Amino acid sequence: MSAAVSPGPTTPDAERVAAPDAPVRRRSVRTAERRWGLILAAPATLHTLLWIGVPIIVAIVLSFTAYDIIHAPEFAGLENYATIFTDGLFWRSVLHNAIIAGVGIPISMFLALVFAVMLNRAIPGQGIFRVMVFLPHITATVAVAMIWLWIYNPSENGLMNVVLGVVGIGPLPFLTNPDLALASVILVTIWQGIGLKMLIYLAALQGVDGQLYEAADLDGANFVQKFFHVTVPMLRPATFFILITALIANFQTFDLIYILTEGGPANSTSVVTYRIYQTAFQEFRVGLANAQSVILLLILIVLAFLSRKIVGGTDGD
Amino acid sequence: MATDTRSLAAPTRPSAPAGRTRTKSLRRQRRLASTAMLVFLVVSSLVMAAPFLWMALSSIRDPTELARVPMPLIPEDLRWENYTEALTRAPFGVYARNSFILATAAALLNVAFGSACGYALAKLRFRLAPAVFGWMVACIMIPFYATVIPVFLMVRHMPLFGGNSILGAGGTGWIDTWWALIVPGAISPFMVFLFRQFYVSTPSELIEAARLDGVSEFGIYTRIVTPLIKPGLLTVALLSFEAGWNNFLWPLLVTTSENLRVIQVGISSFRQEAATDWHLLMAGTTLAAVPMIVLFLVFQRYFVQGFAASGIK
Repeated sequence: MSAAVSPGPTTPDAERVAAPDAPVRRRSVRTAERRWGLILAAPATLHTLLWIGVPIIVAIVLSFTAYDIIHAPEFAGLENYATIFTDGLFWRSVLHNAIIAGVGIPISMFLALVFAVMLNRAIPGQGIFRVMVFLPHITATVAVAMIWLWIYNPSENGLMNVVLGVVGIGPLPFLTNPDLALASVILVTIWQGIGLKMLIYLAALQGVDGQLYEAADLDGANFVQKFFHVTVPMLRPATFFILITALIANFQTFDLIYILTEGGPANSTSVVTYRIYQTAFQEFRVGLANAQSVILLLILIVLAFLSRKIVGGTDGD
Repeated sequence: MATDTRSLAAPTRPSAPAGRTRTKSLRRQRRLASTAMLVFLVVSSLVMAAPFLWMALSSIRDPTELARVPMPLIPEDLRWENYTEALTRAPFGVYARNSFILATAAALLNVAFGSACGYALAKLRFRLAPAVFGWMVACIMIPFYATVIPVFLMVRHMPLFGGNSILGAGGTGWIDTWWALIVPGAISPFMVFLFRQFYVSTPSELIEAARLDGVSEFGIYTRIVTPLIKPGLLTVALLSFEAGWNNFLWPLLVTTSENLRVIQVGISSFRQEAATDWHLLMAGTTLAAVPMIVLFLVFQRYFVQGFAASGIK
C-alpha cells in the first residue's frame, strides 16, 4: 500500500573508514553487496514473475481466444469482450459485489469503530472482547459458511428462525428465497468483516494524541462530541485504508458464496469470482473466463488507483 | 450545564464544596456510563461469538434433538460420539495432516525466501532494487482470482510431469500432486513487503560494523540482522500458516484424490456426504476451525501485528 516509500537503505557513512587500503576494500564490499542483493532477491522475484507475471500475460492472451481446454485455443479477436458486454449475468454479478460492498462495508466499518473506541480503554475483559470480535476473521471462510448454512437452516430449528420465532416471524427460507438470499449473505460479510476493521482502528487509535482529548475535556466536550470532533477526524487515514482494502477484498469473495448459495437461487447471489469459476470450470469457456478475469483486474486497478488519488500522501505507511 | 448548576446551587459560598459535589456526580455519571458500556460489550460480543457457540453446541447434540420442535437450546446430554462418528464417516485425520503439511510448507518457504528478498530490498544497494520493489508492490494488488485460470493451466501443462511431454501436453502435469498444492503459492509478495518493513527498522550501522569485521554478506543477513526481527519472522510464519490452513479454492481445483484433500475442501465434500446430519457437519466444522482459533489465542500478539499491517486476509 505504500509504493511511495523508496527502497534501499539510507547512505551509510563509508567516509569513516580511513585506512590506506580503504578504497579497494570499499569497492569489493560494494561488489559483494550488489551481488548478494541480487542473489537474495532472486528466488522471490523469479517465483512471482513465473506464478503472477506470466499468468497475467497468459490471461490477457487467452482472453482473445476461444478455448475449451480440450482443443487448442483459437484466436477469436474481441469476441469474448463483446460477449461480456452483453452478458447480463456477469454484470449482475458485478452489481451484487457492489451491493454487498455498498451495504456491508459501511455497516461493518461503523460497528468496528464503535468496538474499537470502546475496547481502546482499559476495561475489564478487554482482551476477551477483542478476541470474540476478531474470531470470525481468523476462522476459515469455508468453516464460517458452514456454520451460517446451519444458522440459516429453513426449518424451525435454524438459529436465525429460532431468534425470529421469539418475535413471531418465520420460519423463513433465508438462502433459498431470491429476495432474502443476498441480504443473508451481506449479514455474514458484516459479521465476518468487523474484526479486522476493528483491529486496524485500534492500531490507529494508539496513535491519536491523548492531549487532544484533554483539550476537549477542558472545553467541556462530552463523550459524543469528542467522538465526532476528535476521534473521527483523527482516524480519517485509517478509515480510507480500511475502506479500500475492504473494497478490494469484497471483489474476492468466493468461498462464502460457493458454500452458502452457489450463486443462487436464480443467480441472485452470484458474484464476479464465482461467475468466473463457473465460466471456466463448469462451462469450460476458458477464453471467456480469462476475459472476465481481465475485467476483474481492471476493476481492482481502478479501485487501487482511486484510493491512491483520494488518500494521496496522507496515509504514509 | 454543569457550570450553571454550580452557580445556582452555591451563589455565595466559595467553590470548594460545590466542586466536590460536582466531581462526585461526574464520577457517578462516569461509572454509570462505563457500566452501560460493559453491558453493551458483553451483549454484542456474545452476539459476535454466538455462531461459534452454536457450532459447538450443535456438534455435541443428539440428532433426535435436531428434529424436535421446539429444540432445547442447550443440548440435554452431551454426545461426544458425534466426533468419532464424523471421523469414521470422513478421514478428517488425513485432511488435517494434509492441511498441516501445506500450511507448514507455506510458512517455511515464505520465511526463507520472503525474508531474503525483504532484507535485500531494505538493506542492500543493487541495481534492480527499485524495479523489484515496485514489482512486489504491484503484485500485492493483483488478486489470485484474476490469475487462477492461467496458473491452473500452467500447472496442468507442467512439462515432463504427470505423463506430460516436454511441451506439456498429453498428461495431467502437476494436477493432484503436492507440487501443485505447494509451489505456485509458495512465496507471497505481501510477505516480502512485510519483511522489508521489518528489516527497514533495523540499524544499518550494525551491517557496516560487521562488514568491517569481515563477516560475509550472507552471514550478515542470517546471523547479524535476521535475529533482530525474530518477532517478525514469527508473524510471517503465522500469517502464512493461517493462509495455508484456510485455503480453499486452489486445493479444490488441483486435487482430486482423497489422500491429498485438505481440510477446507474436506468439509465441503463432507457436506455432500453427510447431507442434513448437522450434528456431524458441525463436528467436522469444529475440527477444521478449532486449530486456527487455538493458534490465534496462543500467538495473538504476532497475528495482530501482521493483520494490522495488511488489511487483507
